Amino acid sequence: MEKRTKENSHTVIMIGAGPAALSAAVYTTREDIETLLLEKGVPGGLAAVTDWVDNYPGFPDGLAGLELAGNLQKQAERFGAVIDFGEVTALHDEGEWKHLETTLGDLYARVVLVATGSDYKKLGIPGEAEYYARGVHYCATCDGAFYRDKRLVVVGGGNSAVQEAMFLTRFASHIDLMVRSRMRASDVLQKELQKFVDKGKITVHLATTTDEIIGDKDGKVVQVKGTDTKTGNEVKIDTDGVFVFVGLKPNSEFAGGQLETDELGLIKTDENLMSSMNGVFVAGDIRSHATMQIASAVGEGATAALKSANTSEGHVDVMEEV
Amino acid sequence: MVKNITIFTTKTCAYCPMVKKYLASKGLSYDEVNLDEEPQRQQEALAISGALTVPVTVVTRQDDSQEVVVGYNLAKLAPAIA
Ligand SMILES: Cc1cc2nc3c(=O)[nH]c(=O)nc-3n(C[C@H](O)[C@H](O)[C@H](O)COP(=O)(O)OP(=O)(O)OC[C@H]3O[C@@H](n4cnc5c(N)ncnc54)[C@H](O)[C@@H]3O)c2cc1C
Repeated sequence: MEKRTKENSHTVIMIGAGPAALSAAVYTTREDIETLLLEKGVPGGLAAVTDWVDNYPGFPDGLAGLELAGNLQKQAERFGAVIDFGEVTALHDEGEWKHLETTLGDLYARVVLVATGSDYKKLGIPGEAEYYARGVHYCATCDGAFYRDKRLVVVGGGNSAVQEAMFLTRFASHIDLMVRSRMRASDVLQKELQKFVDKGKITVHLATTTDEIIGDKDGKVVQVKGTDTKTGNEVKIDTDGVFVFVGLKPNSEFAGGQLETDELGLIKTDENLMSSMNGVFVAGDIRSHATMQIASAVGEGATAALKSANTSEGHVDVMEEV
Repeated sequence: MVKNITIFTTKTCAYCPMVKKYLASKGLSYDEVNLDEEPQRQQEALAISGALTVPVTVVTRQDDSQEVVVGYNLAKLAPAIA
């Protein structure tokens, strides 16, 4: 373990650089509070890999997720936020200082903001790992372009699955949407989906599990096998690729049980958005009872930054005492 | 020493600008093949990388040896351009 030094100590460290943390960083850095964001993937988080965002206030015509992510990053950096690329693997409470183990080494902060969001869940079925990135995908905006005029299967019945299936119709000739039980997407999205169903672009298979992804001798995905849970009959769908959107897994594992979570693994907070560890705040999708929207993540980021100011305020000088 | 760099990208890929920014920060120029604009080159990207994904960065060195980096993977990209 590296000891705390002036170089590895920060006033605020934010874990993640998604919408929640970038918004929080605008508030802390604008108040001249030194802030480091650690990001293991892409700044902008899930917003950066979302094709189109229609419900972020202030943009009457909607905007590309990538553009929104880029703007949030630019604004935070304008005030002096620093984004480093690395993953936080453990968090320890050392009283006034929080100790973070990261892939960039040990770091210390007076205040920590956890804004780690969630990652896509896997199906855990045969063929899924074998054909990863060669026929099985989790990001439509990243990999969809490879399926121009091809048939696709999209697995899932929530908002993400429906949104991504509609996006993928730009490329694919036809999409089979496999929904394990019933549709859980919002009414608005279901209405939009119906337009694609009416045009024959998407076929919805309700109450159908996805059991296996099958490839040919050339290592190409050719079929998905499932089960119609009402009849028990096997369902076989020929396809060139599979996109999986079966929900999200909270990125709270790094905390190793140090922060109190709910039964879903989301981190619990008090009314000031502080976790069970003093000085560790939480914002965005990773927070228990979050509403999983960019606008709310951004709002929570601002709230957490303002509420945490009391903890970080007046401690900037302490950095010099190291 | 790097002779040339080609990046396969798409318009919606979030990790593509990160690779481009990283190369620019190292003072390196690159050719970009946008697969939305040149879909006929998808097979080429697949043959080189073995993956149906972007970004794919192909670094050709002075001795014509090549390093292929799939995704935004600094652990592979940094040594490839060193
Ligand atoms: C397909 C899809 C479509 C969506 N469409 C919309 C929409 O139209 N409108 C809307 O409002 N919302 C939408 N959402 C939801 C929205 O994207 C999220 O609510 C929002 O991105 C949450 O922001 P966040 O900052 O809390 O988390 P995230 O965006 O998930 O960002 C968290 C960041 O933390 C990083 N991270 C995680 N763990 C670590 C670690 N240990 N160390 C370092 N970094 C770490 C991650 O890499 C990530 O970049 C959509 C989501 C999906 C999946």
